[in-house]
Amino acid sequence: MTDREDIDMLAAEYVLGTLDSDMRRTVDERRSHEDDLDAAIAGWEKRLSPLNAHYRDEMPTRDLFPGIRARIEGARAQADNIVEIDLLKRKLARWRIGTFATGALAASLMVAVLVSDFATPVQDRQFVAVFHRDDTQPAFVMSIDLDTRAVIIRPVSATLPEGKTYQLWIASDQLGPAPKSLGLLENASVPTTRSLGEFDPALLRNATFGISLEPEGGSPTGRPTGPAIHGRLIPVEH
Amino acid sequence: MGISIRDLEQFLARAADGDMDAFGHLYHATSAKLFGIVLRILKNRAQSEDILQEIYVRVWERAGDFEPGRASIITWMATIARNRAIDALRRDKRHDAVVDNFDIDQLADHDDLSVADDAERNDDLRQLEICLGGLDDDRRTMVRLAYLDGFSRAELAERFAQPVGTIKTWLHRSLKQLKECLGS
Repeated sequence: MTDREDIDMLAAEYVLGTLDSDMRRTVDERRSHEDDLDAAIAGWEKRLSPLNAHYRDEMPTRDLFPGIRARIEGARAQADNIVEIDLLKRKLARWRIGTFATGALAASLMVAVLVSDFATPVQDRQFVAVFHRDDTQPAFVMSIDLDTRAVIIRPVSATLPEGKTYQLWIASDQLGPAPKSLGLLENASVPTTRSLGEFDPALLRNATFGISLEPEGGSPTGRPTGPAIHGRLIPVEH
Repeated sequence: MGISIRDLEQFLARAADGDMDAFGHLYHATSAKLFGIVLRILKNRAQSEDILQEIYVRVWERAGDFEPGRASIITWMATIARNRAIDALRRDKRHDAVVDNFDIDQLADHDDLSVADDAERNDDLRQLEICLGGLDDDRRTMVRLAYLDGFSRAELAERFAQPVGTIKTWLHRSLKQLKECLGS
């Protein structure tokens, strides 16, 4: 059996639902950075989803929406001032469109977060973003101080595959449709500091940051090409 | 149908922007469909109601990821629901999940396909049914038990009194045959 067939059968059984818990978790993890596998899963979803018509509608015994709403709002309240990344989705979608135009970047778009004007009280000047891979382990923590315009990126559990490097990006409407490189994180085990003095605080507040995995020396295209890391931004308590 | 697919897509787009009222409309228009999926897989009403809430939290979180060109919104939501229900089923199997003592037939296949999204989906379903019809009876039943009821390889092995390795082989052959028949 070829690798391609293996991947296709793994995708097929994932969609069919016959894999055990550990295998399902492995597939969830792998598909985020294996485009073949992700595409194969999408193919099987398309093939088998017509069977969904055989499910019969069933009413829950009570209206569950108040509970759902409470979970969503409770998660926010608990984390206090968390700036929910979902509010930034629009921004990311625009960036994605701009980047797709170059054809280089997969849906894996990294992107991360940023200082949003939505839920952020104006007095917040310091923010922390936690970059997750696959929404699991934190990979990097980034802090940004809008007064000094200094960014510090601290690796948490990021490991650097051989021959690869991490690259930091900023995206903002004011900078045009494509993300702009803020340079490489030379060492995945020590904090990297970057001065963003060239950008004004208002731009930074509305910008989006991302970290991508690139070949040594940085992205060959000048745009992010590698797998993405996601994060969310949290204002620092005063 | 009072609410169109287009309406649902707009509710979801507004939810992606943080509009909780729009998300409420989306919930009320789709919860029976998703609950039908979750309940048939988990066969436990209390657990299904808990998981359904998790599913909608996930839909809220991922609202901005929906791409209309890739799948219909119903398929997209159903996929999230099935995945979450199967994850819960696999996880809880270790602790002997409680199965409600209700009539499973009540949830079993219904052939009234009025719920299909649109004509194109009906065509897709017809084509898939034709291809399923080309499988041996046992294997067709196996595919349906897996997809619709969440049977694992091990559960299929028990049901069909075969080693797990044999089940895996049968599943792979059936899936390849289906793929070939569907021509993609």
